[in-house]
Amino acid sequence: MSRDGPVKCVVWDIDNTLLTGIYLESGDQPPGADPVLTAVLAELGERGILHALASRNPPEAAAYTARVTGWRFAAAECGWGDKSGALTRIAATLGIAVDALAFVDDDPYERAEVGLALPGVLVLSPEDAAEAAGWPEFSPPVITPEARRRGEMYAERQRRQAAERSFGGTREEFLASAGTQVRIAAATAADVPRLAELAARTRQFNSAAGRPGAELTQDWFRGLLAAPDREVATVRLRDAFGDDGMVGGCVIDRDAGTWAVPLVMMSCRAMGRGVIDALLAWLIRHAARAGARRLLIPCVASSRNVPLRLALAAAGFRVPEPAGPDDGGVGGNPATYQRDLSPPLPALPGRVSAPGEPGGDAA
Amino acid sequence: MSPPGGADAASVTDDLRAFLASATGRDELLRLPPGTALFGTAVGLDSLTGTLLLREIHRRFGVDVAGEDLNLDSLATLGTLAAFVAERARPQDGP
Repeated sequence: MSRDGPVKCVVWDIDNTLLTGIYLESGDQPPGADPVLTAVLAELGERGILHALASRNPPEAAAYTARVTGWRFAAAECGWGDKSGALTRIAATLGIAVDALAFVDDDPYERAEVGLALPGVLVLSPEDAAEAAGWPEFSPPVITPEARRRGEMYAERQRRQAAERSFGGTREEFLASAGTQVRIAAATAADVPRLAELAARTRQFNSAAGRPGAELTQDWFRGLLAAPDREVATVRLRDAFGDDGMVGGCVIDRDAGTWAVPLVMMSCRAMGRGVIDALLAWLIRHAARAGARRLLIPCVASSRNVPLRLALAAAGFRVPEPAGPDDGGVGGNPATYQRDLSPPLPALPGRVSAPGEPGGDAA
Repeated sequence: MSPPGGADAASVTDDLRAFLASATGRDELLRLPPGTALFGTAVGLDSLTGTLLLREIHRRFGVDVAGEDLNLDSLATLGTLAAFVAERARPQDGP
């Protein structure tokens, strides 16, 4: 199996999978919901796993399936194209990696097509899916309030995206008009489960992902809270469309003139809302205020974390001596991003409150 | 400078402008001067629009910018990005 990491969304077929028959062949009496799989929907949903539909039926079948299973699906693709194409579009709509999907279909041909085209997807028969709730891929180590609200947050996200498309101005203007608030604060013991969950689930924005020996467990975070030269910060996000709760965090290693950041992470749900840029700008300002001259962020560069690498580049971080197969090549080796902390320092938008900044907590 | 199989930097520049304008919904980006900094305030490239831009470049020109340029220095300006892509572009259709 080439996939790794937890499943974030299960994409379900409709005919003979979630329904006990074929929607279009049942005349006036469409088939009912499969009771076992309906229970699986609810159980996985409780853990914060999303559900989506991919079917060759007309869109009414998706609405019907939502009604009889009692489930609000985060996305639905109905049409005659390949299921692999449907899965790719669902991942893009939800802003998650294709490799974070599982796919359930009764038709072995469809399973083979998806398995070949998208080797990172966990492909299951309905029988497998009935047992899968016990598998590690479907068992996030901790379940937080943010995880339980995840389905609702995706609905808020769809309303926010529709509003942004019709808004017309720049993204900065949209964030202001939506009442976006980013709150960076020192972490407390109560934040540890969500910090560990973010560390386990984030991939596109996680500087420690793929680093050998990185064990970002609850115990690790608890130890850091007690350590004198360490700081752990959380990032929360809300706007007029909804409250996303804690969407990111970072760990700081304070060492005189050079500060290191062993972990910076953000949920990809917060992408495009100015959060990672605010966090990096605050880290730079925070370290400079304390008299540090350089800020280091170790990060394994890969094709997975291009969004984080873009944010690092935009914030002025560079790898001074790139190692790779050819000059500038990206070999998946651990690299250390650095930024000089001499002025001018980046500004922090007014919608951001943070320790040591106007309107934020004490540093 | 355009090696065999490469693309014309001016036409790549136009393609990138068109993509940025459509991704952000801001038509003024169609007239962006080549020397404009992409991460600066004029364009405001962030991790979301940047990821979409790199995906589009890969799809259209077959160039994996993030795979070849660890520091993403090629994203300094519209002009540097167009030159980087034009130099490495290979035809996407036909043999």
